[in-house]
Amino acid sequence: MRSRFDEQLTLLQRELTQMGSMCEEVIALAAKALLQRDNHLLDKIDALEQEIDRMERTIETLCLKLILQQQPVASDLRKISAAHKMITDMERIGDQASDIADIVRFTGPLQEDGIRADIRDIAAAAIHIVTESIDAYAHGDIALAEAAIAHDDAVDACFAKIRNTLAELIAAHPETASDALDWLMVAKYFERIGDHAVNIAEWVVFSVTGKHKGIAYGGVTG
Amino acid sequence: MTKRIFSSFLIVVLTVLLASFTIILGVLYNHSASLQRSQLLIELDLAASGVTAGGEHYLSTLSPDGYRLTWIAADGTVQFDSSQDADDMENHAEREEIQEAFATGYGESARFSSTLTEQTLYFARKLTDGTVLRISVDRDTALTLLLEMVPSLIVILLGALLLSGMLSYLVSRKIVAPLNAIDLDKPLEGDAYDELAPLLNHIAKQQRKILSQRQELDRQKDEFFTVIANMNEGLVLLSAQMKILSINPAAGTFFSTDPECVGRDFYTIERSRDMDRALQATIDTGSHELHMNRNGREYQLNISRIHADAESGGFVILIFDISDKYYAEQSRREFTANVSHELKTPLQSIMGSAELLENGLVKGEDVPQFVRRIRTEAARLLSLIEDTIHLSQLDEQSELTLEPIELYALVCKETELLASAAQTRNVTLTTSGKPVTITAAEPLLHEIVYNLCDNAIKYNHSDGTVTVTVSETDTHAILTVADTGIGIPQAHQPRVFERFYRVDRSRSKETGGTGLGLSIVKHAVQYLGGTITLESKPDQGTVVTVLLPKQH
Repeated sequence: MRSRFDEQLTLLQRELTQMGSMCEEVIALAAKALLQRDNHLLDKIDALEQEIDRMERTIETLCLKLILQQQPVASDLRKISAAHKMITDMERIGDQASDIADIVRFTGPLQEDGIRADIRDIAAAAIHIVTESIDAYAHGDIALAEAAIAHDDAVDACFAKIRNTLAELIAAHPETASDALDWLMVAKYFERIGDHAVNIAEWVVFSVTGKHKGIAYGGVTG
Repeated sequence: MTKRIFSSFLIVVLTVLLASFTIILGVLYNHSASLQRSQLLIELDLAASGVTAGGEHYLSTLSPDGYRLTWIAADGTVQFDSSQDADDMENHAEREEIQEAFATGYGESARFSSTLTEQTLYFARKLTDGTVLRISVDRDTALTLLLEMVPSLIVILLGALLLSGMLSYLVSRKIVAPLNAIDLDKPLEGDAYDELAPLLNHIAKQQRKILSQRQELDRQKDEFFTVIANMNEGLVLLSAQMKILSINPAAGTFFSTDPECVGRDFYTIERSRDMDRALQATIDTGSHELHMNRNGREYQLNISRIHADAESGGFVILIFDISDKYYAEQSRREFTANVSHELKTPLQSIMGSAELLENGLVKGEDVPQFVRRIRTEAARLLSLIEDTIHLSQLDEQSELTLEPIELYALVCKETELLASAAQTRNVTLTTSGKPVTITAAEPLLHEIVYNLCDNAIKYNHSDGTVTVTVSETDTHAILTVADTGIGIPQAHQPRVFERFYRVDRSRSKETGGTGLGLSIVKHAVQYLGGTITLESKPDQGTVVTVLLPKQH
């Protein structure tokens, strides 16, 4: 019975890691579609986004099944409940990537190349955090999770820079305001992706140590 | 075993004890009974002669001790009894011994008391007057004797039990001791029973066999792991549940993990989607091939499913570094693409000019110009094809005859050939140095010197110079071609030896180069076992140094 439980737990971790890898892929695709104006990638992004949604439901079912049938305790329960929380964030990452794809799809080529480098930076920074937090989960590496959480500042800084640049741009060239707003949206999506990745990293820390930043009652250890 | 021996001993001892006890008891009882009987008979005979002589008077004077005398008249009435009043006693004529005595002169019988604990023996003798004298004695039966002996018997039995118990214990211990002393790891050492020798020999033989087999297995295992650990290819073994069973250092580097990951889920060290898809494909089809780019190198991963039985089985992942092959393949593809493009350009120009001429669209005075274009383009095509053939010959590494060649003389000859070209471009071509003889193939040296000088002239400024120097070390000849030309920017320097690589594509038409010159030089130098180095600064010039071994 226990060995079956262990097997299911391994399966859960494997599926979750795979879902993380899908998130990485979908953001990378979104960034590529955006920066290289490659509309062929958009369908791929949508397909992957749907796959992420399916994966979320699969993992959710698996989590509930494990909790109900095996009644896990202590660290096992933490792992499962952390997984249950993480998939929500991962699914949101998929949605954000899909939103970026929509902007690429329904707007023309975005003007002002001056902002491209910054957008590339914020995309790279967001992907980096996602990769770090998924790696941290796969290896159970708290140090890496903490690093991922710390790296969110870089994303925030990028976003602030883009926002200022765009504000100046709109002031100087009011006719580009529409494009500038699209760029702002894209930047905001990447910033949100960074935040979701940080959430994932926090749940990684919780699943290992039983302490979560957002939990007021001092953690569940055992 | 000790217990068994102990109990067997005890049973034997007790049985023997009881048996001997019974026999002794019986023998003794019989002996004492016969003794008593003969005594009584003597007593009876004495009394009989006494009675015959003295009658009743004799009897009354007799005070019998331990026995009883009875005198019975011929009709059976008791005339005297030594322990009872004779008048009270009944007629004894019916008694067995009396009847016997009346009949034969002597009779005897034994009767048990009602409790069976006593037996009364009777002996009767007929006297001369027809009366019968009887003597009788009460005697304990064997049972009484036994009952009387019970307390002492118990003591004896207990003692015997204790003693035999102790002895059995000691003896059984002693018997078993050598068996316990056998060291099964070294069965032939120590002295066990001879009867065990065949068994122990067998065990020893089997142990030797097992040991040698195990050593052989260990050796094979060590060999296997040494090979696995030192091979350049990465090897990962996975269980059917994707747990890592074994991973060698090369694979560890590929997945950037350490040997501690053994036993963990494979997905914790490699979670890329490509790998997941490849594993799923392997599960479906049995094997899969995957290419991955890691750390700037190209890898090929062969994944195979192992079929043992339903329970076991797993996966093998073999990782090859195919960078060299991959990049070679890539440059070959590029070359093919380039060469067809390069061949097409002059041909199109020729076709265009020829078509114009054919359709009479060229004015009379322009005809020579078009014809010249056709000729120069054809020449370009020809030189391209020649260069390509040279390159492919070098690629094939076909055997060229090596002979002693004087390098300086060859350089002078080549510069003479290029003198007019240099003059056209207003470039001064000078040679310096001394004769150096090397073993080489003349066509290759020609390619090297000609192409280097040609480039030095082509990519020079007007009024520039080209200096070709020949010198030597103990083992090598040194050929230096220095120009004062346009130079090669740092970024392009590593790539100028690639086929069709040009620093400035727009100049190719102007200079008529094919983009293959330096590539041919590099191959020729390599073929001769030499080295080529290039130093250059933009707008200051380029120095190409070729080191060629004198002997092969």
